[in-house]
Amino acid sequence: MNGIHDLGGMHGFGPIEREKNEPVFHEDWERRIFGLLNLTMGAAQIHVDEIRHAIEKMPPAEYLASPYYEHWLYGAEKVLAELGLVTPEELDKRTAEMAKREAK
Amino acid sequence: MAKQSRTEPPSTPALRIRALESLLVEKGLVDPAAVDEIIDIFEKRIGPRNGAKVVARAWADPEYKKRLLADGSKAIAELGFTGLQGEDMVVLENTPKVHNMVVCTLCSCYPWPTLGLPPNWYKAAPYRARVVIEPRKVLAEFGIEVGPDVEVRVWDSNAEIRYMVLPMRPEGTDGWREDKLAALVTRDSMIGTDIPKVKA
Amino acid sequence: MPALPKAMVWEVVKGGMSARAQVDAPARFKPGDRVVARNINPVGHTRLPRYIRGKQGVVQSNHGGFAFADTRAHRQGDQPHHLYSVRFEARELWGADAAARDAVYIDLWEPYIEPAN
Repeated sequence: MNGIHDLGGMHGFGPIEREKNEPVFHEDWERRIFGLLNLTMGAAQIHVDEIRHAIEKMPPAEYLASPYYEHWLYGAEKVLAELGLVTPEELDKRTAEMAKREAK
Repeated sequence: MAKQSRTEPPSTPALRIRALESLLVEKGLVDPAAVDEIIDIFEKRIGPRNGAKVVARAWADPEYKKRLLADGSKAIAELGFTGLQGEDMVVLENTPKVHNMVVCTLCSCYPWPTLGLPPNWYKAAPYRARVVIEPRKVLAEFGIEVGPDVEVRVWDSNAEIRYMVLPMRPEGTDGWREDKLAALVTRDSMIGTDIPKVKA
Repeated sequence: MPALPKAMVWEVVKGGMSARAQVDAPARFKPGDRVVARNINPVGHTRLPRYIRGKQGVVQSNHGGFAFADTRAHRQGDQPHHLYSVRFEARELWGADAAARDAVYIDLWEPYIEPAN
């Protein structure tokens, strides 16, 4: 698709920002989605191409503004929903339950 | 992701990912210990020191270098660096006439077994957009200049071939042991945004 | 498929999952052939970037047969094709202001290219 991900040759993106001594993962949630998505792909026989295409469908502004591993979360949710393995409703419900528990 | 009303704070990815993990575990799709393991592998056990060993071997051993350039996957496998996102490797030789750079304009494809996981700058829009159209400006931002008589080749990793640059061996390293040579090889020099040199 | 146990993770990571696949049809192109990238604009998945479409390049090599991303992304099967490394001159892609010697190399499955006139 002619999506926002197809960036080659675009202008306007400014300097390449590099972090000194950058860690492999910046947050624990990044580690976690990295591990989860890789293993889920194996278990559900999801090809990397499916995940890439799901990510391509992110709303363009979100794609550009979000940290990289949020793309992975988006791709995981989308493909798992398409396959009926984890529905958005289930995930919303579980997230809300955990938020409530953690607020106590 | 669920639509957010403007009065609710956004759920952080952290909570949503914990929720996702709990569901995937309940459904028998993932084992949390296996998740811990794959994280550990890529955080601690696989990284650019692997690629540096490949480069150092090629610098020290001309026959290995020939094999590496003829069949990257096979030669890299001699050192044991095989696997996920590096199954099909091509190694690109930098020469006085040719400077190679690697990108994935469409996403973040990168040779994990030799270089580990990519840095954020490789995966973000500025590098992906700019390196194919203005590689010399990008090199200048990295503090690298190549002359007008040098050909800059930018390799877009859009399929499943994974690319790694074999940088030129710096002057003043004759007779150096491989481990000392490997210490000169920076991660960025194997992407093509750096050039190894002996510190003065 | 059941969850991969911790003890098998290292093996699976070291083994990887190559996309190489057998292609029975003979290769349509060979090194040195001038080709043009097709002007396709699918709404589905493709790995042919816009900056390459309609541009002319020269085949450098044939990597062999690989599963086709455009169909795998939609669970339509591997449908492997020959995958070629193709060189595009910077001036062909970006115009006369680009550096004379520079080039972009990209991997194109056979359905992405046609012979150049």
